[in-house]
Amino acid sequence: MAVTPWHFVGLKLRVMRNGLRGQRWRIALFVIGLFFGAWFSVIGFVLFSATGFARTDTSLVLVGGLGGAAVVVGWLLMPLVFFGVDETLDPARFALLPLDRRTLVSGMFAAALAGVPAFATLAATSGLAVAALLRGGPVAGALQAVGVVAGLLLCVSLSRATTSAFSAMLRSRRVRDLAAILLAVLAALLGPLQIGLLAAARTADWNVLAGVARVLGWTPLAAAYTLGLDVVEGRWWAVPLKLLIVAGTIAALLWWWSVTLENAMVGTATTTSGRGTRETPHTSPTTRLYPVLLRGLPRSRSGALVALQVRYWWRDTRRRANLITFAVVGMFVPLMVNIGSRGLIEGSAAIPPSLTTVSASMVFVGVLGGVGLANQFGYDGTAYSANIIAGVPGAAELRARVAGFSFYLGPLILVIPVALALVLHRPGWIPSMWGAAAAAYGCGVAINLFVSVLGAFSLPETTNPFAVNTGAGVTKSLFSFAAMLCTLLLSVPVFAMSTLAEETWVWAGLPAGVLYGGTALWLGTRFAGRLLDRRMPELLSAITPRR
Amino acid sequence: MTFALALHGLAKRFADKVAVGGVDLEVPTGSFYGLLGPNGAGKTTTLSMAVGLLRPDAGTATVLGHDVWTDPLAAKRMLGVMPDGARLFDRLTGAELLACHGLLRGMPAAVVDQRARELLDVLALGDADRTLVVDYSAGMKKKIGLACALLHAPKMLVLDEPFEAVDPVSAALIRDILQRYVASGNTVIFSSHVMEVVERICTHVAILAQGRILTAGTIADVRAGRSLEDVFVQVVGGRTATGQELAWL
Repeated sequence: MAVTPWHFVGLKLRVMRNGLRGQRWRIALFVIGLFFGAWFSVIGFVLFSATGFARTDTSLVLVGGLGGAAVVVGWLLMPLVFFGVDETLDPARFALLPLDRRTLVSGMFAAALAGVPAFATLAATSGLAVAALLRGGPVAGALQAVGVVAGLLLCVSLSRATTSAFSAMLRSRRVRDLAAILLAVLAALLGPLQIGLLAAARTADWNVLAGVARVLGWTPLAAAYTLGLDVVEGRWWAVPLKLLIVAGTIAALLWWWSVTLENAMVGTATTTSGRGTRETPHTSPTTRLYPVLLRGLPRSRSGALVALQVRYWWRDTRRRANLITFAVVGMFVPLMVNIGSRGLIEGSAAIPPSLTTVSASMVFVGVLGGVGLANQFGYDGTAYSANIIAGVPGAAELRARVAGFSFYLGPLILVIPVALALVLHRPGWIPSMWGAAAAAYGCGVAINLFVSVLGAFSLPETTNPFAVNTGAGVTKSLFSFAAMLCTLLLSVPVFAMSTLAEETWVWAGLPAGVLYGGTALWLGTRFAGRLLDRRMPELLSAITPRR
Repeated sequence: MTFALALHGLAKRFADKVAVGGVDLEVPTGSFYGLLGPNGAGKTTTLSMAVGLLRPDAGTATVLGHDVWTDPLAAKRMLGVMPDGARLFDRLTGAELLACHGLLRGMPAAVVDQRARELLDVLALGDADRTLVVDYSAGMKKKIGLACALLHAPKMLVLDEPFEAVDPVSAALIRDILQRYVASGNTVIFSSHVMEVVERICTHVAILAQGRILTAGTIADVRAGRSLEDVFVQVVGGRTATGQELAWL
């Protein structure tokens, strides 16, 4: 009997079901995921279909072109920066089975389609078909329905191909820098787009936006979502061309995916070339444990814990992916928010940069930084048992973890305000920006220490830095979301100060922020440490992958 | 007499399955104790509860008189552990990993350095090698795990499946080191399902199946003249081949 994609779909559903069996909290999280999926579907459907009732075609152009492109870009970026990939079906598991590449890719593709995000996207975008039906009759509706399905296939193949390729890159230690650059470029591409959109939206020049949307309609980003529009406007010749664009893109993506998939199957995980046999000079083992920059630390328990964390944030691909994401997002979002709102592109509006916006974006940087620690024990996995057996006290453990993480985050948090202030020509704001970032980072880390002790979850033992277990994706985003919310609440004084007492905040921001963040951090390590002392075995079972 | 390790009524239940249903075990000081059992018998669960990695539902575990769950620091000082399947901090090199373990235990750096070098040398892991532990072979991983457990010279060693997936040369080396360790008055308990190893090196043996100790004592008492394998199959109970099944093979 030939293996069909249905086997893969069935296997995935079965693995999902077995993963949920007897795990009430996982079921609850799954239901929450379903709820969000349904919510997204309904909102999206209403937005997309509402254009069918508009008086002109402009809204259909805008929603089809820009909305469609947003959906595709979302599928591209969400797994990379936020959710992770559902690796319910790990390609490595199929390595020994006699499956040819075509069977495997089509099967994995079908399995990827059988999920909440794919269904939600399909439901939301089908609103476009309804709109096309209302405006252009049944033929337009039918063609747009084809476009909606093709668009979904494009989204799924895009997200699978990029994450697979990206994880393969990060896996090989030699190409890790390339991966960092790739992410930076991806994020950089978003910048001009957003600035353009903001500029256009501010001047309310819908024609400019419609022009952008029409151009996007000829790219793979939105070609599938503008088919109905072309029929409505009588450009029948465009339909086969756009279908060709979409089909060609999907084929290319699937081919790309199949190549990287094979790499993932045969496991290029242990690329150690260039390490192995090189002998280091005769330094002692304890000296070698400490990275060169940290050789000054004492050779003690705390020193060793810090050295271990510093080594791990770089050598563990999952953690490194986290750091890179923070560096890129933390640098670009504040720049975009502050420059974008000033409308630099048109050079028209000379709205001066606002201290409140700047402080808010610094708070964002600090909050985002703290989230990196949310599942710090999950990264360790069962290796953490060594620390339990050695009897490391909880507070010492957490202090060292904060120090190790801050070894990388600290410099970034120092540099980002400087860069932003220089771009905004407001060097005088740098101290208060440091203060805002320090306050938010301190609060964020403190909150996330509790999250890391209470809400740790196991990560699969693969080398794919984006892989999470079924359901854990929801946990991850839910806990991160709750932690971010708490941190924002704790950062309210910073907002208040920077808005209400602008004059004072400029000079008092740094000491006040550092004091506030430092106090939060001190309290956090102390109380989360006590919690950890009581919960070590429970934490260990939470981060032990189920076999 | 105080036992090196004493377990009383240890029990653990996972969701709807009883993993360990009340284990009583007394390991005399200076013994080389083998914990035998089929796969899924609860060996790892029992040993995890004995060393403080898994909180038992009921029962106590004491190491040389110190309760693991009420006086953990004193107990853990006496204890060296090699958990099975537990990943080490494997993004470190062997030397870095040993240094980390030693310093975590609060040992002086000079002592850590000297012992780490000696262990790496004796276990043929190469002092100056820059290979990360994640890239070690299975046998090397067992050896570095053993080195980590031995580094602080514990009085009591708890090893989960130390001979699993280890080549004969490494196995012989591990055996030698453990025998010398016991000869100087220390105690070892390890789990295994390999009869030959247990029969050859252990002074005591206990057989665990379905979460209960079925028999325990000195190896001579348990065997009572038979081979350990016969005793094991008889105690645990299993299917005996009739020669008729799988005829198509």
